[in-house]
Amino acid sequence: METTEVIEEGGNITVERAGEETRKLLFNNGLCAACGLCEEICPVEAIETNPTGAMIRTEQETSKITIDEGKCVLCGMCSSICPFQALDLQIDGTSIKEIPGYPQLIKSAEIDENECINCKACETACPQDAITITRELPKRKDLVTGEIEIDKDTCIYCGICEEMCPADAIEITHEEPTSINPVIASDINVDEDKCVHCGICKRVCPVDAIMQVCRICPYGEYEIELEPEITGTSYIDPELCVNCGWCQEICPVDAAKVTKPFEGELILDEEKCQGCETCVMVCPCNVLSFPKPEKVGDKPEKLHKDETFCIYCGACERSCPVDAITVKRKSINYTPTKSKAWQNAFESLTK
Amino acid sequence: MISTHGDPMPKHIVSGLKYLAAVNLTKQGHTQKEVAKRLGINRSTVSHYLNGRNLSMRSIEIAKVITELCPRDFLLLTYALIQDIDKTKTIVKSCQKRKFKASVKNSCIGCGICIDSCLMKAIKLDELKAKIDSKWCCGCLICVEMCPTNSIEIEEVEY
Repeated sequence: METTEVIEEGGNITVERAGEETRKLLFNNGLCAACGLCEEICPVEAIETNPTGAMIRTEQETSKITIDEGKCVLCGMCSSICPFQALDLQIDGTSIKEIPGYPQLIKSAEIDENECINCKACETACPQDAITITRELPKRKDLVTGEIEIDKDTCIYCGICEEMCPADAIEITHEEPTSINPVIASDINVDEDKCVHCGICKRVCPVDAIMQVCRICPYGEYEIELEPEITGTSYIDPELCVNCGWCQEICPVDAAKVTKPFEGELILDEEKCQGCETCVMVCPCNVLSFPKPEKVGDKPEKLHKDETFCIYCGACERSCPVDAITVKRKSINYTPTKSKAWQNAFESLTK
Repeated sequence: MISTHGDPMPKHIVSGLKYLAAVNLTKQGHTQKEVAKRLGINRSTVSHYLNGRNLSMRSIEIAKVITELCPRDFLLLTYALIQDIDKTKTIVKSCQKRKFKASVKNSCIGCGICIDSCLMKAIKLDELKAKIDSKWCCGCLICVEMCPTNSIEIEEVEY
């Protein structure tokens, strides 16, 4: 019965102990936000969170935490508390997240596809790039109806309509004039799949060779039955999602629902803050930002926070070099466990 | 590592231990067939033992001394000699006269280290907490020493 540790390039760590059961603790460096919760909960002081400020600024690939395999007993508390899925304890190949009895953080993020209008606001706002919206847009020609015809005998092939068409629907077969064939073009055609019947070609044609009618215009405000059908699917990567709530807040139709693992309070000391921006870079939830200074080189004004997006992980507090940030975790949402030791360990993280 | 394979001395001592175990198991009501199976010997050997015959009578005296050592020495020495966990369990449990009561405090975090350290296989995990079957506890206290949270208590009870 020996505990072994392997540290891979890129900072991932595997700690393993094989005995009656094989216990494996997997650490994914890329997902870690260096919040220090694992260090705080570890009952045997086997974990140390490394200084994040320097690591983030230099984009080093070293592990954000250090695990002492001589101390680690592979109990799994770090794995249960990690809000970023960066730690996973597996017993005989099964994650304790799937083993009944182990407390799990109650956290979720969902997009109701019946409500979602595929606007991609959440995809753009998600600080972890965890959301992918795949949308199918209708064909432009299905939204318009009309007629267009070019009188090829009148057309002088000047190319103005071709140049002006916003839908690239007009194509002229240009020719190099020769003494045998002294023409500048041989043909002009309209791709009716592309034409949106805007009428620009008709208005710019210097010889009035184009006839164009839009069938929708005469109806005025009474739309005829040409409903655009925008379909799509949404996907939230469960590994990357940090349940910050950006998608829920930014969604214009309330299609996103987020449950956060922790509740609490984020306190900033404006007097102490020196504007180094380490916290801004460390925060996995984009809670913190500085207003842009007016002149290059000016110190940014006071640090701005929006707690709507905060999950109270404590990464900012840990990274602040001047102790200007305090994270007060007031409650942890987790599934019940019969183990008193685990309950006490979870509760010890609240203030 | 020193190999004891083919080494006559440990084998002789083991035969003494098996002799004592065979006698005790029979007293506890096990059939000769069961005794033979649990100790990994044939039935005629069991029969010899029960009739007070052993190739080396001196080994029985040595075996008696071993069974009276402190629980940890008895367990570890027996395991070193026999190198088989099930037979070690059988011998220790059938020859040990002392009894122990094990309890686990609520501070247990369910890390499972005690399970791996218990040679008697007396420990299981139940709802993130170690559960020790006192019936199989031999009082070696290895688990107590290994537990990272000092959550195990072993008491000796009157026989």
